[in-house]
Amino acid sequence: MSEGRSHILDSGYIITNDTLASDVIGRRVEVNGEYATVRFSGIVPPVAGCWLGVEWDNPERGKHDGSHEGTVYFKCRHPTGGSFVRPNKVNFGIDFLTAVKNRYVLEDGPEEDGKEQIVIIGSKPVETIGFDSVIKQQSQLSKLQDISLRNCAVSCAGEKGGIAKACPNIRKVDLSKNLLSSWDEVIHIADQLRHLEVLNLSENKLQCPSGSASLTGTFSALKVLVLNRTGITWAEVLQCASACPVLEELYLGSNNIIISQRPTDVLQTVKLLDLSSNHLIDESQLFLIAYLPRLEQLILSDIGISSIHFPDAGIGCKTSMFPNLQYLVVNDNQISQWSFINELDKLQSLHALSCIRNPLTEGDKAAQTTRQLIIAKIGQLRTLNKCEILPEERRGAELDYRKAFGNEWKKAGGHQDPDRNRPDEEFLAAHPRYQLLCLTLKIKCPNQLDQKVLEKQLPDSMTIQKVKGLLSRLLKVPVSDLLLAYESPKVSCPAKYKVKLTSPHYDIKFLCKTSLILNGRPYILSSRVTCCLGEST
Amino acid sequence: MARRRGWGGGRVPGRPAGAGTVPAGLCQAEGACQRRPAAAVIRGFENGGCAAAGQSESGRRLLGDAQSRPPRRPAAGSPEEPREGAQVACREHGELAFNSDSTSKECLSIHVGQAGVQIGDACWELYCLEHEIQPDGTIPDRKQRDPLEDADTEEQANASFDTFFCETRAGKHVPRALFVDLEPTVVDGIRAGRYRALFHPEQLLSGKEDAANNYARGRYSVGSGVIDLVLERTRKLAKQCSGLQGFLIFRSFGGGTGSGLTSLLVERLSVEFGRKTKLEFSVHPAPRVSTAVVEPYNAVLTTHSTLEHADCTFLVDNEAVYDVCHRKLGVERPSYASINRLLAQAASAVTASLRFQGPLNVDLVEFQTNLVPFPRVHFPVTALAPVVSADRAFHEPLSVADITAACFEPSGHLVRCDPRRGRYMACCLLYRGDVAPREVNAAIAAVKARDSVRFVDWCPTGFKVGINSQPPRATPGGDLAPVRRAVCTLSNSTAVVEAWARLDHRFDLMYAKRAFLHWYLREGMEEGEFSEAREDLAALEQDYREVGQSLSCKDGWREGRR
Repeated sequence: MSEGRSHILDSGYIITNDTLASDVIGRRVEVNGEYATVRFSGIVPPVAGCWLGVEWDNPERGKHDGSHEGTVYFKCRHPTGGSFVRPNKVNFGIDFLTAVKNRYVLEDGPEEDGKEQIVIIGSKPVETIGFDSVIKQQSQLSKLQDISLRNCAVSCAGEKGGIAKACPNIRKVDLSKNLLSSWDEVIHIADQLRHLEVLNLSENKLQCPSGSASLTGTFSALKVLVLNRTGITWAEVLQCASACPVLEELYLGSNNIIISQRPTDVLQTVKLLDLSSNHLIDESQLFLIAYLPRLEQLILSDIGISSIHFPDAGIGCKTSMFPNLQYLVVNDNQISQWSFINELDKLQSLHALSCIRNPLTEGDKAAQTTRQLIIAKIGQLRTLNKCEILPEERRGAELDYRKAFGNEWKKAGGHQDPDRNRPDEEFLAAHPRYQLLCLTLKIKCPNQLDQKVLEKQLPDSMTIQKVKGLLSRLLKVPVSDLLLAYESPKVSCPAKYKVKLTSPHYDIKFLCKTSLILNGRPYILSSRVTCCLGEST
Repeated sequence: MARRRGWGGGRVPGRPAGAGTVPAGLCQAEGACQRRPAAAVIRGFENGGCAAAGQSESGRRLLGDAQSRPPRRPAAGSPEEPREGAQVACREHGELAFNSDSTSKECLSIHVGQAGVQIGDACWELYCLEHEIQPDGTIPDRKQRDPLEDADTEEQANASFDTFFCETRAGKHVPRALFVDLEPTVVDGIRAGRYRALFHPEQLLSGKEDAANNYARGRYSVGSGVIDLVLERTRKLAKQCSGLQGFLIFRSFGGGTGSGLTSLLVERLSVEFGRKTKLEFSVHPAPRVSTAVVEPYNAVLTTHSTLEHADCTFLVDNEAVYDVCHRKLGVERPSYASINRLLAQAASAVTASLRFQGPLNVDLVEFQTNLVPFPRVHFPVTALAPVVSADRAFHEPLSVADITAACFEPSGHLVRCDPRRGRYMACCLLYRGDVAPREVNAAIAAVKARDSVRFVDWCPTGFKVGINSQPPRATPGGDLAPVRRAVCTLSNSTAVVEAWARLDHRFDLMYAKRAFLHWYLREGMEEGEFSEAREDLAALEQDYREVGQSLSCKDGWREGRR
């Protein structure tokens, strides 16, 4: 352990039995690096003296469940989660300001004479540069903005107003792995830090605040709240969040949370929500948070989810849930069905996905194929597994997808002729985007009256040049003689509107998405494109 | 062997006697008088068009230096004393210089070839973020934005980035950087990119005909046509500096421009800017992935020709960085963009001490003195920690002890080599952010307790540690999580010989059959150059083996080779 620990142990003891206050029950304590909660204080016959009954965070550390020789002194969740320890072995922690001073200010000053301290480790000296100035700078507590008190045995706020006086400018506080036992202490600390923006309370077991009224205004500037491994419940999260009017990022990893109610009037500003390693979350609970208006990033790693289905949207439609969700992380889950990926296509704004270490992606298939399929199945995806999807990659993926499932599509009733194209429900459910990947092109040849109107389904990424090549083969006309024009059925002008297709490198999808301004009104060309084919003169 | 008086050159304590430099006793006496004319020559050359006032001011300061202060550095003895004195003096005068030579300040970055330019792009993006410079070069009014900021910290922050940015009269901050490539596409990427307004068009140089992965083209046929222009632009940038400290050169060993043009450039820079230091960030050919078949040829040739000129070369290799991105950041197939962002973090960590100077911070120069025990043995391995992906930002404990330990894992290194197999000659740890000194001591003690960190027995010091209070920044939208503290280790370890041995082996395989040689001969090179370069590399490998040996068998140490 670091040198800093021993300082805390020295100053942090509550040694004599007399000083043990009655409110010791419920306090968080540390004994030789292990963390525990005090459940009992008093005499345990036949052994003389005062004992503390503690429940360890690590259940293997203890010996019993709180009973001794038939008497139940306290109860533990785990049969070997409890122990009795002598109060003088227990570290009850120190107050916030002492911890800050321990870490940032040196009370004993061999270094304060301005010389750089030389530490000898092994046989070689460790040269240090600038340590004295760093110490000097850090010891000006009032200027500190970003402090980290991880593992510093902080248990209480200390004297009222003391923090506000000593270090009022703190914006980021890391209080993870400390001995804070209730939200009240956190509130006492936070009340004095009016600029507090980032608060990390991970690995503290916090009890509910005593009165909800005291919360208001405490976290008025807080933007990031980290509550990993705190054992917090959803109700408590909502209660705390109600005091954070501008909260943007909320981390709730490893808490065994069950989302029990819909957040109303709280969490409305949250942009990032991390629910990873909460194994009790399931699909239906996610729908409770589906309408957070600003939610952009949702981290659902390692929650054991295997399926999702947005009930409000049919095949090929967009759901109204998660309206702003842009980035979804579903690493380390149990996703094994493609239907999961199909459903993600329904999210309106999703453009980044991270989906690794799932049965679906870890299977015997090549990773490359899986990636291609995911790209083809989610139309608006721009980043997959933190790799940008370039247009060429998407084009390749969609073409391969078309190719790979072409036979299946025909078997299911698909046909190139749109009138006879009736793939069954099963296929549509399995491949909702398949049909959208190509356009039906009606090809008319006004100059050759005997030629029937041709209909072709083409991938929408096909370029004009390729279409020309195809047509020249179909109609046996040299490419140089082809003149393509484009007619939209939606445009109902007196004179049929035609766009001459001259630039060979545009793809046909581009054409369909281009809106034309015609007679001052915008027209969006439909996905059913008619191409007029004329011969050049 | 060129003997310059650069950062690492002539003032290494513990250099074997008769090493060819000025002997220790002479150095002190000559230091002052030798330095002055040299500086004056360069000054006259640099400040040709500058205002007379500035010139006289710096002239006075220079004179003052020579009279009132001990010469730059006694060759032996305690190296800390003069710096300490100078620092105190500087503080008193409210100056920010803290090298004892108060005129040396600015650093010019030169980015050569595709790799160099792309890394440069990522680097400058990060530097701008760290100094809160907008993409157009302006700085939003700190007072307005941040009423809490103290006046003195603001002043300090403003003054500190002078080394890397040049402020125009209009209040724009222009990087002291030059981007050079023999073909236009990569530089065009910057010209059209988000930071296009940051650079002056003259800083972005591109040719029309590329080097085609050919050292000979980069150096002779194509490169020789542009070198004069490159030097002219370099001079122009140098002219804007009040006291140029040195050059940072970013390039790859494998590419044609990176290898060929750089070797030509550093030779010319040595001639023109004799005593200025040249630090390199070089992308070493990766063991398994390679972009060009002739990479080993290029790398060996360029190493041979720059070995005597560069003062310190920080090696990274694509495969190691790719692996770090893949494993630690969870990027499925890291693109050059992700790799470059990570490299930019490394470059930023190394240069942080130069950019955020001021009395509170540490100086790279001091570390370099420790890092380079012999002029040829100047290839420190870089390692970076923590590397945490953005979606795991608050999941991992990132205490000082954790990140220090991570830096000594082979997986954290940016070059493929196993430091456990070699011996350390020097190891520098550059901490950034919220780091308390006593935690550092404990963390280093923990690392030292491992068997894997072994030092050579002839080197008196072990670790050298610095803390820079500026926390690292993460590029928004990048893969890295924003962290409160980070550490970058630079270790000159004999393990890096692994990388050289691998390279030489690949060279030998091709050269035995004279494969692909005609591409070089066609551009006017001779076979002799190849064998000479290969011999030099063999000697370098030998050098590393010899420094790794214990003192008793060190008699065979050869100095002044070639």
